[in-house]
Amino acid sequence: MEQRARRSMTYREKLLQADREAKAAVVGLVLTIVVWLVCGIGLSGLDVKVLGTPLWIIGGTLGTWAFSIVVAVVLGKRVFLDFDLDDDAPSSAAPTGEDGGLRG
Amino acid sequence: MGNLASIIPVVVFLIVATGLGLYARRASNGSGEGFVKEYFIGGRSLGGFVLAMTTIATYGSVSSFVGGPGQAWETGFGWVYMATVQVTALFLLYGILGKKMALISRKIGGVTVIDVIRARYNSNALAVASAAIIVLFFSATMIAQFVGGAKLFEAVTGYSYNVGLALFGIAVIVFTTIGGFRGVALTDTLCGIAMLVGIAVLAAGILNAGGGYENIMATIEANSPQLLEPFSAGAMPASLYFTQWLLVGVLTFALPQSAVRCMGFKDTKALRQAMIVGTVIIGAMMIGVTALGTLSAGVLTEDLAAYGGSVDNIIPTAIAQTLPPWLAGIAIIGPIAASISTVSSLLIAASSSIVKDFWLHRCESRGRAVPDVTIARLSQLATFVIGAVVFVLSIVPPDVIWRINMFAFGGLETAFCWTFVLGLFWRGATKEGALLSMVGGVVVYCACMAAGVTFFGMHQIVIGITVSLVLMVAGSLASSRAAMRAGKQPQPPLFEAFFPEK
Repeated sequence: MEQRARRSMTYREKLLQADREAKAAVVGLVLTIVVWLVCGIGLSGLDVKVLGTPLWIIGGTLGTWAFSIVVAVVLGKRVFLDFDLDDDAPSSAAPTGEDGGLRG
Repeated sequence: MGNLASIIPVVVFLIVATGLGLYARRASNGSGEGFVKEYFIGGRSLGGFVLAMTTIATYGSVSSFVGGPGQAWETGFGWVYMATVQVTALFLLYGILGKKMALISRKIGGVTVIDVIRARYNSNALAVASAAIIVLFFSATMIAQFVGGAKLFEAVTGYSYNVGLALFGIAVIVFTTIGGFRGVALTDTLCGIAMLVGIAVLAAGILNAGGGYENIMATIEANSPQLLEPFSAGAMPASLYFTQWLLVGVLTFALPQSAVRCMGFKDTKALRQAMIVGTVIIGAMMIGVTALGTLSAGVLTEDLAAYGGSVDNIIPTAIAQTLPPWLAGIAIIGPIAASISTVSSLLIAASSSIVKDFWLHRCESRGRAVPDVTIARLSQLATFVIGAVVFVLSIVPPDVIWRINMFAFGGLETAFCWTFVLGLFWRGATKEGALLSMVGGVVVYCACMAAGVTFFGMHQIVIGITVSLVLMVAGSLASSRAAMRAGKQPQPPLFEAFFPEK
């Protein structure tokens, strides 16, 4: 997949990409909360049971879990980009690397 | 007298864990990395599966295996529904902090979360406050882990609390001291697998003893139908769901013991793999083990008083009553693994706070070069001493493990959430704001916990995290304006590593 290919990015581009990934993770959280609410408490009024288990228990626990896996897969395969963590593409103002630059 | 058959699997497990610690030490010696980078962050070498397992094993504690399921026995499937919020923990951690911590820690040469905080805010006071808070709350959590593991050991094997404490307490201190971060990550992986095996074995025992899943559900419905309701006839109010979403769901990414793992993976592919694999495993583990607590209500049908009056006794009783001794010995490896994996991770992080973040930084700022061999000896000594102190404090056990765990979770989240999030994503965060947020938030949180002050009955994390946010924003804005009026440069020297212009 093209999106998974390692790209040469500047340090700034990598941090901006990390910002995008963080925002997407928060969106994933919000969607998971909605699914948790709808498939759990939202189904608790139904008198439906599977193997003696009320549907809200299955939806609120296993349903939410399954959805969170979907979120993780979408983030991992569609949102997160691969790049080199150690070497950056040249940039005039980029700070220098781990072993020769800005140390705390 | 204890049952020898039930202790043998535990002893074998601890020997293997110690062997992994020794193996990690030998691998470290040949890695060519400096001691500090190797001992405290494992040379940034974690692959996807190990990263996922060490994060989950650190996060999943004995409270997840004993206290939480015990509460689920009493409260019902509402508690399982609440435990489900933990499925968001890994994609939030890796999504929000994963790449940022990895990139910035490499850029500044940082190996601890305090290195990143110190670099972002250029504040020794903030670094010292961070180290003190980490050592304090980590120690409370470690005591809870030791106590939980030893109580479980006593209840299941018949050997005394002190024998259990000595057995795995000494093992965890030894393999952490020897193996460092790499050893902790490897043993965490072993522990994570052991936790899953323990859940599977206990599930088989409960299902067998209860006459099958449907029979157990019928027993629960007949004896305690409220266990099948989301609000458990008032025992699970909406406010509890809300605060648990904060405590064990949304805010867990800010725990320093989780954040430090974002500095230890080898590449971005490992991060993506860990996020997917980890989300699958954490759901199986947290939903599975908590559901076993509720299902045990179909087997342990008497009042709580019959089980010693504490929900912490439910899972040990379920193990002892539903499994033969040798299988019980395998089942308790799960919670003991949960206990030692959390202790080992906190131990190495607490040690790094003292040695790397406090002592070594002090030496460097005074221009004093410290040989690697001295750092190595002192790091291992600090790890050993902290472990020994926590071990001694655990000999007299406190009650209700999950409350101690939640107290520590809340304190750490209050201290570090906004320091991390606004420090990494908001250019305007200043050291004054961060210091106010961290210290002020924790003081208010602890005071509210001590005085029993709540906001509409919700856990004190709501107050702590709100005060912490207000102080961070107000303190940062006020200090920035004051600095601009005085004509000072408000940005720290390493600001470019966090917010590069080009």
